[in-house]
Amino acid sequence: MKVRLLALGDVPPRLTEAVLAGLPRPFAGGEVARLPVALDSCYDRQRAQVDAACLIEQIPAPEEGWHVMGLTGVDLFMPALTYVFGISHLGGRRGIVSWFRLRFEPDEPDSAALFVRRVTTEVVHELGHGEGLVHCVVPDCAMHRSLWPEAVDLKRPEYCPACLATLTSS
Amino acid sequence: MMTSAVRILVVDDEQHVRNSLATWFREEGYDVSVAAGGKDALAILTREGTNILLVDIKMPGMDGLELQRKVRELAPDATIIIMTAYASVETAVQALKEGAYDYIVKPFDPEAVSRLVRKAAERYSLMAENRALRERLAGALPTLVTSGSPAMTRALELVDQVAPTDTSVLITGESGTGKELVAHLIHARSNRRFGPFVVENCGALAEGLLESELFGHERGAFTGAVARRRGKIELADEGTLFLDEIGDVPAKVQVDLLRVLQDRQLTRVGANAPTPVNFRLVTATHRDLEAEVAAGRFREDFYFRINVFMIQLPPLRERAEDIPALAEHFLRQFATQMNRRISGFTPEAMAALMAYPWPGNVRELQNAIERAIVMCRGDRIEIGHFPFAVAPAAADVSLAGVEAAHIRQVLAAASYNVAQAARALDIDRVTLYNKMKKYGIERP
Repeated sequence: MKVRLLALGDVPPRLTEAVLAGLPRPFAGGEVARLPVALDSCYDRQRAQVDAACLIEQIPAPEEGWHVMGLTGVDLFMPALTYVFGISHLGGRRGIVSWFRLRFEPDEPDSAALFVRRVTTEVVHELGHGEGLVHCVVPDCAMHRSLWPEAVDLKRPEYCPACLATLTSS
Repeated sequence: MMTSAVRILVVDDEQHVRNSLATWFREEGYDVSVAAGGKDALAILTREGTNILLVDIKMPGMDGLELQRKVRELAPDATIIIMTAYASVETAVQALKEGAYDYIVKPFDPEAVSRLVRKAAERYSLMAENRALRERLAGALPTLVTSGSPAMTRALELVDQVAPTDTSVLITGESGTGKELVAHLIHARSNRRFGPFVVENCGALAEGLLESELFGHERGAFTGAVARRRGKIELADEGTLFLDEIGDVPAKVQVDLLRVLQDRQLTRVGANAPTPVNFRLVTATHRDLEAEVAAGRFREDFYFRINVFMIQLPPLRERAEDIPALAEHFLRQFATQMNRRISGFTPEAMAALMAYPWPGNVRELQNAIERAIVMCRGDRIEIGHFPFAVAPAAADVSLAGVEAAHIRQVLAAASYNVAQAARALDIDRVTLYNKMKKYGIERP
């Protein structure tokens, strides 16, 4: 399975390259591309956030053997929820991840490597949903649900044996 | 996918709210349905069954509160979480008062909504487990063994008829006919089956002690009352109180019980304030209570209060056709308990069981089978293994001689349990002890 990582808006090329290089099995390489999306059309002025459900509809459907994942720095929300790190069509092989809430706070010692690891882990998480996986109870599996950035650090950017077996058998 | 057994229904008139919540919960592994309004929600609830409902409080047509009331009628065990905007928090509080599990304000913090639904799912799983255990417990209750004798069939019909009501039941019958078992069956088939089944043998206690047992007492109410104690009536709250040998209850306790039945509250011995109680009363006696009332030994008003519905249990001699089934039942029961491989009875042994008059009824039969299994060395019970069949030829036919032989027989059948033998003989223990002394009968 190959992954097309789409830069939505202003995305540092080093980040997309590092994330693509860090994807675990069963994803094997892929490519980085840019997609000129209309962020404004999904922007909610009252909430000052971008509607993830609206934005994901701008991601084109993938070809056979590919998985498309958007990467963005805007703050995403879903109408009923205050924020989300990412969103996927369950089993639909498309998704989006935002690093807006994965950034380190200004007073935290910055660690570029740890930040890339966080973003990669959430990309791996959304890729799993795109392949039909639901949340996993194994604490360090990428499919474990994380609701704040520090919780993402407790996971590894890989699937546990059970999730990997599900992915490879499907 | 640990949560796949839990079904969630999201009810909201706003499509984007429904969709985003459905996506969120599906990723958690829940089985999620959505409905745009109350009518659709009730249709889904009826068709698919739902464990947790997230209901928007403000919807056109049927609002969240009205939907909640209807869900309560259709699926009382369903957990309802109310979704609300800041402006309608007061309505959400009203929903809580009417039984909603919790409410959550839009837009939801992802952590809060995940935690809330996880808690609701855990609650549902615990309730389902609890229900399953209770059903298993109810199914494990002993059953009355019968091969369809008309007398027992009639009694069982009456049990089925009265059990689901809250009516007081009086069970009459000779000692050993299974009155307590029938009382337990009434409880097990009643709406109070998940409540306690509390038994008190009123014939076994002196007046003061019986009063304290039934009504409880406050600390210091009498010498020895070192702590407050709840009585059997309070312990039977939400359940059934079975008072065996009700004919032996002293007049003063009858008056106190009558007051409790009328007022549905009791006052513990030594207490000032009454305590409300909620129990169903089932009583039993081997005495002829009408005769006791006529003789002035039993209060008439109390008799009418407890005898709203009467079930008369026939003595075993009047339902001899049940004896083979009962004998086989007890054989299986005791053989399993004692780890013995006994296949059945010889034809002579079964004929002897059928011919014996069983003055101690089913209890005597039960004891006889238990003893026979102990005695048996082969794979079938023989006539010689029964206590009533090994009595020596009656050389002494005097009244005293026959009485002594009969007492020996009943004592043996009761494994020399004097209280049990006394009940079978329908005399009190002291009388039995005196007779044993008179005839020189000693426990082995």
